[in-house]
Amino acid sequence: MSIPTNPKIEQKRTEVIWKRSRKAKHIELNDHMVKVYVWELPVRIFHWINAFSILVLMITGVFIGRPFVSASIQEEAYYSFLMGWARYVHFFVAFLFTINLAVRWYWVYKGNEHATSNPFRLSFWKEAFETIKYYLFMKNNKKHYIGHNPLAQLSYWIFIGLGSIIMMLTGYYLLFEPQPESIYGKMFMWVAHLFGGDSYSVRSWHHLVAWGFIIFTVVHVYMAFREDYLQRNGTMSSIFTGYKLERKKEALGEQDEK
Amino acid sequence: MKRKTILEEVLDRGFTRRDFLKMCTALAATMGLDFSQTDQVVAAMEKNQRVPVIWLQFQDCTGCSESFIRSTHPKVESVLLNMISLEYSEALSAASGHQIEAALEHVLEHYPGEYILAVEGSLPTDDAFLTVGGVSAKETFLRAAKGAKAIIAYGSCSSWGGIPAAYPNPTKAKPITHFVKDKPVVLVPGCPPIAEVMTGVIAHIITFGKLPELDHLGRPKAFYRHRIHDKCNRRAYFDAGLFAESFDDEGARQGYCLYKVGCKGPTTYNSCAEMRWNGGVSYPIQSGNPCIGCSEKGFWDNGPFFVRRAKIPASQTTINPETVGAIAVGVTAAGVAAHAAVTAMKKKDEHHDRGE
Repeated sequence: MSIPTNPKIEQKRTEVIWKRSRKAKHIELNDHMVKVYVWELPVRIFHWINAFSILVLMITGVFIGRPFVSASIQEEAYYSFLMGWARYVHFFVAFLFTINLAVRWYWVYKGNEHATSNPFRLSFWKEAFETIKYYLFMKNNKKHYIGHNPLAQLSYWIFIGLGSIIMMLTGYYLLFEPQPESIYGKMFMWVAHLFGGDSYSVRSWHHLVAWGFIIFTVVHVYMAFREDYLQRNGTMSSIFTGYKLERKKEALGEQDEK
Repeated sequence: MKRKTILEEVLDRGFTRRDFLKMCTALAATMGLDFSQTDQVVAAMEKNQRVPVIWLQFQDCTGCSESFIRSTHPKVESVLLNMISLEYSEALSAASGHQIEAALEHVLEHYPGEYILAVEGSLPTDDAFLTVGGVSAKETFLRAAKGAKAIIAYGSCSSWGGIPAAYPNPTKAKPITHFVKDKPVVLVPGCPPIAEVMTGVIAHIITFGKLPELDHLGRPKAFYRHRIHDKCNRRAYFDAGLFAESFDDEGARQGYCLYKVGCKGPTTYNSCAEMRWNGGVSYPIQSGNPCIGCSEKGFWDNGPFFVRRAKIPASQTTINPETVGAIAVGVTAAGVAAHAAVTAMKKKDEHHDRGE
């Protein structure tokens, strides 16, 4: 029994890349190997701000929902402002999270081929299915991907895309609901109708989807280390440096064809 | 016969004009109006006649009527005797049987477009559950609603469906807004609503001849604009992170925030924290009991009163999001560990196969 990844198939070029014209830069090392500049600087900065934001938002968020620490001695309210600070930090980081994501959306249009994804193609779903089979140790036709595989791309659409949108909409609704007449209040009042009508339903969405991010993080970190372990192509260091080590044939497949 | 104005009614009862002005000032304050708008209230009371009111009860507990008669500002007797003419009420009418039904018919016939319909309780969509004297609740309601100037939904049952509509909702109960779409309806939710809110809403309609300003869910802004949480007398303890952990600990004695014993104040819109109950004496949180969120939509299905929960969307099931979330993360981590073990094993096999 072996890891069911067929080296021949792995060398097939990926089909799910949307902006083929925006080729990632590369540095040739020797006749066989190249360093591909997969993650450009804005993508890496986004990644780490996002990771930081999710961590801080989760800690402060769980504290706000279920305060797990408290003053150990009896005191009056004016001595401390613990929940107040937790909320301030949560709101501040929420804005950081939003701006960060907005910049990343811009980079979808500006960045290289690996900064984007197009799920509106049949090959995307076919290859995602092959990837699922690969992860279930089944016989599969998964190709080798220099950027994200389609299943990974799908997980970003669901958690970082849809999940973030749900968290931002419900979060800003909860933040601004006490001021329905303000401009921000008016901007987010409609959110309630989308998520059940009353404040409690909107809050429930916010609390439940938050845990989706933690589940995503666990799987995401594992998958990254696993990829690094199996492929030995510098997946883990690539999120710091931007470069992955690839076979020349795979990285520059198109140019060979010409 | 010329009907008397409200001012004339008041003077007839032996009050002075000074008493009348005091009443109007108190009323303006109750309605959430600015002091400078008192003259508008006075002018309206001088010109307008008493408004006929029909008060219908369906799937309810009469709690709203009980609350209503405990109004202190304005006093319920001044509302009942001077401002409105309560023509039909199951709880308060002295007459009964055919006489009271005749009174109802009289209003429907002689004051179309003038009377106010107050409704307490939800309506079953299945008539088998509420038919009185051969007439279904729906029919009774629609007949009275047809000629009403405005409809006031008193209480959470008529506003949202309330307890009769709670899971599993055996009578298929619906709020009154489900049955009437072409009439102005003002929702006054609460289980029951605060007495002064109930009289304040009716006073506003009488004074200005139109509904008060409503929020996005159809509740009067004057009373449902603010969250309990934002006006709470224990809010300082919330911000300080000081919470009562149980009802008999030192924190509860010190008056700490009741958030951790399930207070629904952060998701509840009502004026309890400002107007309070029983003539402004107190309200649940002040008295040491967490808010149960009785004026919110579906409050009976929003989980137990004394714990914090999250509702699974489109269901009546509530869960503790932190516990369930932590378990889900634990299961995921276990899955990841198993996957990693299989991966490592297969990788080893692969090396072995290649003779490495």
